[in-house]
Amino acid sequence: MTTKVNDPITLEIIQNSLQATADEMFAVMKKTAMSSIIYEVLDMGTGITDARGALASSGAGIPAFVGVLDKAVKVVVAKFDKPGDVEPGDVFATNDPYYGGVTHLNDIIVMMPVFASGRIIAWTANIAHNSDVGGMAPGSLTGEATEIFQEGLRLPAIKIISKGEPIRPVMDIIKVNSRMPDVLEGDVWAAIASVRIGAKRLVEIAEKYGVETFENAMTSFMDFGEQVSLKELSKLPKGTFELSEEQDDGRIFNVKITISDTEFLVDLRDNPDQSKNPVNTSRDGVMVCAQMIFKSMTDPYSPANEGSFRPIRLLTRPGSVFEAAEPAPLGFYYEIELRVYDIMWRCLAQHMPDRLAAGHFASVCGTFIGGIHPDTGRQYTIIEPQIGGWGGSRTGDGNSAIFCGFHGETYNCPAEINEARNGLYVDRMELNMEPGGEGKYRGGRGIVMDYRIRGDNGFLTAGYTRSKFPAWALDGGNEGTPNYVRYLGKDGTDQRYAFVSGLTTHTGDVIRVVTGNGGGIGNPKERDRKLIEEDLKNGLITPERAREVYGYGV
Amino acid sequence: MADTTIRVATDVGGTFTDLVCFETNHKTGESRIVTAKSDTTPPNFEQGVLNVLAKGGVDPKNVDFLAHGTTVVINALTERKGVKVGLITTEGFRDTLEIARGNRPDFFNLHYEKPKPFVPRHLRKELPGRMTYKGEELKPLDLSGLPAILDGFKAEGVQAIAICFLHSYANMAHEQAAVDAVKKLWPEVSVVASHQITREWREYERTNTAVLSAYVQPTAERYLSRLAGGLKEKGLKGSPYIMQSNCGVDSLESVSKIPITMVESGPASGFWGAAELGKLIGEPNVLALDIGGTTAKCSLIENGEVKIKTDYWIERDRTSAGYPIMVPVVDLVEIGNGGGSIAWVDDFAKLHVGPQSAGAMPGPAAYGRGGTKATTTDANLWLGRINRDYFCGGEVIADMKAAETALSDVAGRLGVSVDEAARGIIRIANNNMVNALKLVSLNRGHDPRDFTLVVFGGGGAMHGVALGMELGVKKVVVPAGASVFSAWGMMMSDLRRDYFVTKLADLKKGAAEAIEAVFAESEDRARAQFAAEGVDASKIRFLRYGKFRYQNQEHTTEVLIEGGRITDARLSEIEKAFHETYEREYTYRLDAPVEMVGIHLVASAEVGKLTMKKHAPSGTKADVALKGHRDVDYALEGVKKAAIYDGTKLEPGMTFTGPAIVEDPGTTVVVHPGNTVEIDGYGNIHIKLA
Repeated sequence: MTTKVNDPITLEIIQNSLQATADEMFAVMKKTAMSSIIYEVLDMGTGITDARGALASSGAGIPAFVGVLDKAVKVVVAKFDKPGDVEPGDVFATNDPYYGGVTHLNDIIVMMPVFASGRIIAWTANIAHNSDVGGMAPGSLTGEATEIFQEGLRLPAIKIISKGEPIRPVMDIIKVNSRMPDVLEGDVWAAIASVRIGAKRLVEIAEKYGVETFENAMTSFMDFGEQVSLKELSKLPKGTFELSEEQDDGRIFNVKITISDTEFLVDLRDNPDQSKNPVNTSRDGVMVCAQMIFKSMTDPYSPANEGSFRPIRLLTRPGSVFEAAEPAPLGFYYEIELRVYDIMWRCLAQHMPDRLAAGHFASVCGTFIGGIHPDTGRQYTIIEPQIGGWGGSRTGDGNSAIFCGFHGETYNCPAEINEARNGLYVDRMELNMEPGGEGKYRGGRGIVMDYRIRGDNGFLTAGYTRSKFPAWALDGGNEGTPNYVRYLGKDGTDQRYAFVSGLTTHTGDVIRVVTGNGGGIGNPKERDRKLIEEDLKNGLITPERAREVYGYGV
Repeated sequence: MADTTIRVATDVGGTFTDLVCFETNHKTGESRIVTAKSDTTPPNFEQGVLNVLAKGGVDPKNVDFLAHGTTVVINALTERKGVKVGLITTEGFRDTLEIARGNRPDFFNLHYEKPKPFVPRHLRKELPGRMTYKGEELKPLDLSGLPAILDGFKAEGVQAIAICFLHSYANMAHEQAAVDAVKKLWPEVSVVASHQITREWREYERTNTAVLSAYVQPTAERYLSRLAGGLKEKGLKGSPYIMQSNCGVDSLESVSKIPITMVESGPASGFWGAAELGKLIGEPNVLALDIGGTTAKCSLIENGEVKIKTDYWIERDRTSAGYPIMVPVVDLVEIGNGGGSIAWVDDFAKLHVGPQSAGAMPGPAAYGRGGTKATTTDANLWLGRINRDYFCGGEVIADMKAAETALSDVAGRLGVSVDEAARGIIRIANNNMVNALKLVSLNRGHDPRDFTLVVFGGGGAMHGVALGMELGVKKVVVPAGASVFSAWGMMMSDLRRDYFVTKLADLKKGAAEAIEAVFAESEDRARAQFAAEGVDASKIRFLRYGKFRYQNQEHTTEVLIEGGRITDARLSEIEKAFHETYEREYTYRLDAPVEMVGIHLVASAEVGKLTMKKHAPSGTKADVALKGHRDVDYALEGVKKAAIYDGTKLEPGMTFTGPAIVEDPGTTVVVHPGNTVEIDGYGNIHIKLA
């Protein structure tokens, strides 16, 4: 037999099997979930950690969730540290950023220990956005919240299944706290199915190759991840890079990044105090952002694990917007994470434009529309991120209409399904033709989407950033265009919003979602004439604008 | 009446056009089998078909049944060799084709490139008019802008038009009206509307399907009409049947209207063959694996039924969103692992196999055609699994020096011996394939122990046993003529059509009538279509599947609905079947309302397929087929002295045990230590795993 503990082929095969398992867990969740934000938007992630909670493998989904699961498992491991605390068949959950939840209360993380040879050899974990976990507003997200208590039920790293048996009272509490109890229950069970299937597969792998070999494979791949990161790190320009940027809400965010051969140091200490509003993030959340940008710059193609992130060091200040303290609200944490992600990107892009493109629309543009479906009489809630324009890069124009850097294998909702499920009309969904983002290579286009409301007395909540300061340009390109929601009431109201909470909607009102075009790169005057002609033919630019910015036809 | 029936399958591939002919004697039931191969002859593909018939000595005049498979559609798509298409769509949705679904599968890659739409923005035009999701007209179709659109298309050299309007799956009237108007204004242009291809929702997927269909339509139509003409001229009496992606054959006339349905016809015939073989040998649950030169494909067959889905995408992988084609395609997983897959070592001394392939040129290093990279085939040769003196059925002299050099390079980078490197290549390749097989079995709630692994294609039998042992299947079967198995499958195919219709219904009292109506309407459509082709209604077999989910879910679970007419009284039984299927697949069930999202109707009719004759055991001992012994490296089980059998001399009833190798001109069967082998009455090799 060649399956000895260190046989590289065996270790490789185990790693492939871990990846296949994380993917399978993802597929199960996607197919069984009840919330469209999970099954369609795929606002979810799956992963496998070692016994200590170090990330070993992650499934598809959204990059912003890749680095979340390990942090949650580590909190459970620390909290349940007595003999008998963790037993085969147990399942744990947390959604609280102050208890390993990282993000916000809507995201429930479900974790299951994997036992073989009488000990824990790994954990399988799953995170997904739940449509409603209680709190002061439908959908649990509101800009009005001033304390986390208003944002929903808190699950502070607890056991929900004991030795295979659901802990009924806990499950009942979770369910009764939601405005959409059946959906929440269905989604939690989908998550449980996902971690159970993952655990089953891992046991099979460990039994086949031996527990020691299995554990060795995980360790060796983390070391491998570190090697890859260090090798790529050595190719990056060295030094300290700084950036200050004013945000839509007037706050100034500062970042300082120092790159050496062995370390990627992100210093975010010099930033404002935490906000009363839900525009804060946990330190773990900021770490995820640093991990995302680091991964994209070093090794975007292979799966991430704990080793990939070892060279990162993060400095934050307790009580600041980037390390909020209890009970600060965190509902819109993702926009703040995106801001951190984007300023790190912007800070580095000018020093390594071959690796990093100009700015993109860089907002989740979370849009929440709800009410009563006029045909079925049932409550509907749309919870969706939007797609927008990406920045031009040294190699070409930016992509139009794809999800922001926070999301990944995420799908928009087809108009046909939207109309049937939610009982409204989608009057149009097309590329955003506002001028902006021109350059030698231009930014891609955002979108314009019109929702016409059919039922009366519904609501609209939205939280968009890059609404005042649009996508940034590089090397003399033009900046992109802003993200916003325009509310066109049947009564003639025409109001533009970046943040709006619980606005009442009426029959015939139009909610227009507009997402930004990406930033341009390089002097527009240097743009290839052929590309300008193509843009003109495709109606992506007017002759007047082409003359003005590109000097075309002058 | 003639004494024999002659059935022919022809298959046009990228490089070769293949022929398999079965001449069945009515008196004895015996079939004489002829195979032939000739070059594919683009762009006059029909010439290659006529050539191969001549080469095989088959006179079209005497042919009773001719089935035809072709890669012409998939090639036109992947090589971007279709025509210029103009798209007409609903006002406000011109950019749907470009917006697509917005996903970034390669999510850490900030240089991701979104797939480019097949129709540029300036050829995407809109018309006012709206249907609701219920199929009611919200706003009438306004065709007044159409003449100007068509003038624009003409000026741009558009050759085909695709039409897709919102909610046309629920009401096709606007699309139909637009098609009629286009035909009136511009009779020469090729035009297709989305409802002619699919009646399911999701506007991007349906629009793209219509666009890709239009893109290949003129090319495929020309191809099919020339094929029909060429064969008719040579005296073929009937019309050829064309292999479809749904494992059935369809009439040439019918396929000509929507040729996009041929897109995955290649793999489909092999999987159908596996299903038919399973029925023949009493193994209705089959895991089918087809290993070719560049890829391996697998599919699961349950109770003799292949699984057909409409969630099919081309060019979709971890790095690209790809393009959807919403047509019925056999549910398969394909990976870049075949005999020609290249083994390589990354910067961190990690071994990988595929997805790059050495292809036919230069091919594996051992072909001696200048290939310097080690492939799976080179590793198989090195380990003695393939006979170096009987390479490719003795047609190629194995260049072992080249194989050694290539493998040494891999070994050097890994820091191991050449033997170790070759074993590593086999193990990694096998692991890739095992993961693919798990995707279609374990991952969908099936237990591989309930399945028989049927392996075919040039490389199937070489890896089949190792994969079967890894998965824990009951046994592995290598069909007689494994290398021409796809052609055999084509001759076993039924005339078959799959109808998918989106139809929302809550599964509660009063719903049965509407559900029954959708099935009945589709069955009527099927009967009319079959009748037009002279197929008697009594010959048509229907299978009704419902697509169900818990209310609020998105993805559906397909459930077979047996027992004819659907009544309210039967709804609870249908619901129960859904709960059971759901729990098997996902480990839990819910006490939540169940809704139907649509139907899947299968309509099929036999069109004179082959009947196989079973032979009694010959009584001859396997020793007569024994060629000798040689050392074979089984990777995990080490080096063993294996008995080598001549596959052409194996007869029904023969048995032997592993370690052994069966050498056949088309394939090599690797039998592991402890396996028991038995040849059945049809010449198939059954391998029982220890």
